[in-house]
Amino acid sequence: MSGSMIFAPDWRRALVVLGALALLAGCGPTEVVVKGSFPPPLLEPLPLTLGVWYGDDFAHHEFSDEATGRSGSSWVVKSGEAQVQMWDTLLTGMFDRLVHLDDRPGPGQVTPVVDAVLIPHVDELQYAIPAHTNVKVYEIWMRYRFELVTTDGQPIAEWTMSAYGKTPTAFMQSDQAAVNLAAVVALRDAGANFATLFTRVPAVRDWLQHRPQRRPRHAAEVQL
Amino acid sequence: MNHTLLRLIIPGVFLTLATGCVTSTVDEMVFDEPSEGIGDATVVILGRRHASDYETEPDFIECVGKHIAARDKSIEVIGELEFLNALYPWFEPRTAPLKPSDIDKLMLQRPVAQKLTALKTEYLIWIDGSTVRNDSAGSMACGIGPGGGGCFGFGTWSNDADYEATIWDFTDRAEVGRVNTKATGQSYMPAVVIPIPIIAPVQGTACDGIGEQLLQFLSGHY
Repeated sequence: MSGSMIFAPDWRRALVVLGALALLAGCGPTEVVVKGSFPPPLLEPLPLTLGVWYGDDFAHHEFSDEATGRSGSSWVVKSGEAQVQMWDTLLTGMFDRLVHLDDRPGPGQVTPVVDAVLIPHVDELQYAIPAHTNVKVYEIWMRYRFELVTTDGQPIAEWTMSAYGKTPTAFMQSDQAAVNLAAVVALRDAGANFATLFTRVPAVRDWLQHRPQRRPRHAAEVQL
Repeated sequence: MNHTLLRLIIPGVFLTLATGCVTSTVDEMVFDEPSEGIGDATVVILGRRHASDYETEPDFIECVGKHIAARDKSIEVIGELEFLNALYPWFEPRTAPLKPSDIDKLMLQRPVAQKLTALKTEYLIWIDGSTVRNDSAGSMACGIGPGGGGCFGFGTWSNDADYEATIWDFTDRAEVGRVNTKATGQSYMPAVVIPIPIIAPVQGTACDGIGEQLLQFLSGHY
């Protein structure tokens, strides 16, 4: 038997490998790559040039959960791409100008002319599906932490914020599609919470009131 | 020709018979109904999504909107997602106005006021509720073997729909009407080799009930 396997034609070997891979794939975790579209906010933009830096843990954010029993399944929820997409859309609409930074600001760093730099983090993500709760809704809950720093990395403000999304059990909808939808709702909620909260964070409010006004830039600087 | 006709009629009759029974009640309270309909203004129907244990189904909101737009072509119903996206982030579950007087605060945002004027939104209808499945009973076993497969058994369940629509007048910043509909129905699924679902269209009945009442409020022809 093993001999026939060794000398089997290439296509048969490929078939066996594909079959084995298909069986193994059935044992893997349920993966959700969050995808959605996010609208720009309907706001008067704040007269600020904001820098934003997405760390690797944020830009490639994913959440994994091991199955607790034989009947459960493991999950991997990859939300990094959707996070960046949503925050880019939101911040572009919230501020006069948004500048992406390649590195975290710090002393000695060459940073573009911005008023402040926002560094978002996802500190925690939890999900629930009907199999966990016996309630016919899919839920995603996230806790964000934001750092607002100066161009040389000095802290201006740091605060946390939660976001929540849920979606009902829908006929003919897979668990993955429902978790994706719940994540998109949670991201929208994060955007709504941030947009309405930002200027009310005490440290941000103080900074906005007392921040030094930047001198008007020359045309050449603007083009840079 | 006759065979073709029979092929269409028999499944049609079967499907008509194979729907469960639904009981529906509709209550309406109207305070200030427009006598000539809403004219060229638009109406938007949104689902309330504040409760933690249920969610007003987006497809129910869509169903009510389609019911109204299909019966009176002069009424323009803005799609829920279209409105939510156009007014983001002001009508998300976290930020949506909970009472008509909150619209004043919303209108202080100049882009919001401009957008609502551009959309010509006269009435905002909030729908709150859901359809839930209760009282499931019965059992069914399915098997498959070399000679084929099949199921045997019987299942039954009831569906209960409870929705309330609240109508806000954007111009007067006031609640001008309220419609409540309840529907309940029993569905069955006997299985002798093939399961035959006899589904009670509970949510559809609730959609028609609430849609008809809203149509009477909004339309000058009803």
